[in-house]
Amino acid sequence: MKFICQSDHTVMEFVENITSESGGSMSIMFQCPTCGRGIAMVTNLGETQLVRSLGVTIGHEALATAPEPMSMIRSALTGQSSPLTSPAGPEPVWSEAALKRLSAAPTFVQGMIRRLYTDYARQKGYPEITPAVMNEARETLGMTGM
Amino acid sequence: MVTDPSAVPDKSNVLGQVLAQRERVAARLAQVERILAVMSGKGGVGKSALTANLAVALAMGGRAVGVLDADINGASAAAMLGARRQKLEITPNGVRPAIGVCDIRVMSMDLFLPDDDTPVRWQHPGGLAADQFVWRGTMEANALREFLSDTEWETLDYLLLDLPPGADRFDTVARLVPQLTSASTGGTIVVTIPSRVSHLVVRRTIAAAREAGAHLIGLIENMAGYVGEGGQVVGELFPDGRGAALADDFGIPYLGSVPFDPRLARETDSGRPFVIEHAESTAGRAILNIAAILLQERN
Repeated sequence: MKFICQSDHTVMEFVENITSESGGSMSIMFQCPTCGRGIAMVTNLGETQLVRSLGVTIGHEALATAPEPMSMIRSALTGQSSPLTSPAGPEPVWSEAALKRLSAAPTFVQGMIRRLYTDYARQKGYPEITPAVMNEARETLGMTGM
Repeated sequence: MVTDPSAVPDKSNVLGQVLAQRERVAARLAQVERILAVMSGKGGVGKSALTANLAVALAMGGRAVGVLDADINGASAAAMLGARRQKLEITPNGVRPAIGVCDIRVMSMDLFLPDDDTPVRWQHPGGLAADQFVWRGTMEANALREFLSDTEWETLDYLLLDLPPGADRFDTVARLVPQLTSASTGGTIVVTIPSRVSHLVVRRTIAAAREAGAHLIGLIENMAGYVGEGGQVVGELFPDGRGAALADDFGIPYLGSVPFDPRLARETDSGRPFVIEHAESTAGRAILNIAAILLQERN
């Protein structure tokens, strides 16, 4: 979408896109590069939602960088906080004793269990997963048989 | 004189953004050897449980397997594969999927919802709640696109897509995953149960998928008979078992029938798919046979 300045017959240039706090509308501002006259196109609720549902952005150099992963899902789901987290700190190391205990679990659940304990240790900032950490995680997360 | 608008850079470039989205999907799925969609058109035929058990059967055969739960509003794959408690993490390469039984990588809308009582609700600014239906389909298609492109699937032998009910679903997915239209890169498995109503819906679903260019790997008739306590089929659940004939009507392979085993429902519900511990049962063997066909089909 482009706008023509009626005074200068010049295509106006994109300046800024401001989304309202409620997320219900966008003000997309353009300015004539010749005379400086500006206009703002304000989208209504339905138009805003249509843009959001396409997972695209308006008025940015959007192709330069890929959007954040799952950005549409995370921004558009309502009534909840995003459960996605960034890994805090380095991957914890598994002690030999912890690995031995892990190997006692049925093979088909070992990967799943390893992930649960790793997530727990990382969230707690533990650098090493030991049987004690595993016990703590079991109690905290209510895991049985692991 | 009016400056030529086409000569002015289009900073939004919405079409370019949409094409870039598809390129990201293609780049991510380039690491996947085969993509299999499991569809029915009809709800309640046990499609998700079959998907989970087929995924496990393939993984038990040493294959790296992922499951994408494309049923945005009825997500169940994470629960069936024992992956519900995990938190999704963002990394520089995307979002790490949950790890289910047999190291199956799982992505599902279930993993985004904070608790069991929260349904999927898309933002509806202001007074537009009643008009959600206008864009809900677009939101769901884009959620599926993000699952495909933003999940760190890594290298997979198989990615199974559990499609939601609805005869039109294949078309939406195939636009994002063209691999489903070629025998060399994937295909679609159709699930029915031995009821006339199911066959009616499934016929239309197959026809719609074929129009959309689907490579149809074959048809499975689920709940074909009831397994008693002795592990043998003791009776029929439905009187109209014609799965093989239905497959014949469309000229697609009949992959086999799977009887209803109460343990299958119970154990898959608990996040430990039935085939893990009951591979020798009638239903377990049926599922493993179908997995073996899928492995052969790949070769």
